[in-house]
Amino acid sequence: MGKLWERLFLAERPSIGMAFFRIAVAVSTGTYLIPTFFSLDRTYLSTAFKTYNPSFFTTDALALVQKSPDGLVVFAVWLFCLAWFCFLIGLFSQLSCILMTFCCYYFYALNNFAMGTLTWDILMVTLVLMCVTPYHGDYFSVDCLRRGDREAYRRARPFFQQRLFQLQIAFIYFYTGLYKITAEGNWLTDKPLYYLMNYPVQGVTKNFLLKDFLAGQPQLCYWIGVLIVAVELAMPFLLFNPRTRRSGIYLGFLFHILLILTLDVPAIFFFLFPAQLLLFIDPEDVIRWVADKRDNNRRSRRMKIIYDGHCRFCQASVKQLEIMDLFGALEMVDFHSADDLKQLHPQLTKELAHSQLHAIDWDGELTGGFFAFRRCCLLLPMLYLLLPIVYFPGAALLGPVIYKAIAKNRYLFHGNRACKDNVCYR
Amino acid sequence: MKKRIRNIFISIFVVVWLCAFHYESIRYFYLEPVLGQRLPKIKFLFPPAGWIMFYRVDDQFAYPEIYGVIKGAPQVIDPHDIIRTRFIGFDNIRRGILGAALSGYRRQDFCRYMHRNFPVFDDFYVTAVNIPSVTKAPYDRQQIPVYQCGGK
Repeated sequence: MGKLWERLFLAERPSIGMAFFRIAVAVSTGTYLIPTFFSLDRTYLSTAFKTYNPSFFTTDALALVQKSPDGLVVFAVWLFCLAWFCFLIGLFSQLSCILMTFCCYYFYALNNFAMGTLTWDILMVTLVLMCVTPYHGDYFSVDCLRRGDREAYRRARPFFQQRLFQLQIAFIYFYTGLYKITAEGNWLTDKPLYYLMNYPVQGVTKNFLLKDFLAGQPQLCYWIGVLIVAVELAMPFLLFNPRTRRSGIYLGFLFHILLILTLDVPAIFFFLFPAQLLLFIDPEDVIRWVADKRDNNRRSRRMKIIYDGHCRFCQASVKQLEIMDLFGALEMVDFHSADDLKQLHPQLTKELAHSQLHAIDWDGELTGGFFAFRRCCLLLPMLYLLLPIVYFPGAALLGPVIYKAIAKNRYLFHGNRACKDNVCYR
Repeated sequence: MKKRIRNIFISIFVVVWLCAFHYESIRYFYLEPVLGQRLPKIKFLFPPAGWIMFYRVDDQFAYPEIYGVIKGAPQVIDPHDIIRTRFIGFDNIRRGILGAALSGYRRQDFCRYMHRNFPVFDDFYVTAVNIPSVTKAPYDRQQIPVYQCGGK
């Protein structure tokens, strides 16, 4: 029993899954809450129409929050945005998670009408559980860059948090199915899907392709409903059994895609739940897969990054690139230690290498500065978020100017005394 | 030693969390009917009655319809103009959020809100539209007046 408990909750396993899940939680929270900030006068300020949720909050807490002046509401909006962004990029992950969750509670107490749904309650449970540890900041985060840990991607942590998220999603499916056939649910005794398909335009059903067809098929709707309930009830067994786990994850994905295509359900269904299903992938398998990719890349030709090893700013930047280089796709070369730069690339000279960072692609193409960084963004998963920015129209004009300014003053960064007047730059 | 203490804390947390999760999942619809009494809800966490997404859908359908009155002539107000929050990927109006306006308990607040945001109207009628059977008689709309706000 003790060993089973140890294996289920206490054993240390890589936290890379939680790091990925952090991004999904941030996206879900942001897509849900941020739209309500665009019309504050109708959502949270004193001019808004408000309802309260006394079953979720205590009356004292509701009364206290209702005393908020509008200035405090606006402050909370900015605090949420800051905390949310920090949480998204993984800067002080745990602290930003706590602050963000606190703001979520505040807005929920302020006006249930603007945001309260059952899915929001599910998100709140998820957020509270996320606040418990900083494990989600171990990778895909600014925190791992701050710590400078090259092995951050395979850092092992107690598995309990990921396990609780697994149990949460599996049992939410189970209970959802159970309520549909017991309690006051009518999925076995009636044809709820058939009714949904016949709802008027004011209802929750979207005008999807097969709606009119299904609206005329009561028996088919009934059996689809029974199938949905059966899948929901079976989900814990499918997901926790290693043999059926993959099918369970695929079924869950299909379920959520169909849900978002057919019903007006919050985007949380699309961003949070599928990501939570991915937490069932064994983190050891993920690390093995990463290790295989790293081995493959090591054996084949990698993109060479030519940098200035005498510049501490460059050394730190290269170290950060190494941390972000999950698949080992880059090979770092200090041009000072290279015997002959021409061997690396015929156009590469010491002067050229000194001016800015360069990248030599697998096919021998030489790029420098901003364009070398842009190539890195394609290879490093942690920089994927920057892709829309570095490939935005006009970025090829503005990017090199910004990059050049940083490269020119790179000796001034990191307090290099010997180069305090930037004399090292040539 | 440090690891052992950590594991004790984790174990306590896991047990408490799982108990709370399953308690709240079954409290309202299973435990309360069996025990025949109201049980305390854990505040600040969990929905009021478990994970009841679409657990009951009936043939009957109702929604609020709100009218603004100009010079004695009522006209329907698009509910999207009333809420004006555009969520990503879904429409909160179609999830019945405006049903809160039907509550007489919120009448005063809602009327004040409507007068503030729609000064062009002299008055507002809040009505509930009920369709007793969406499958058998989808166009049999029964419109019931719920309340009238009164002048500004």
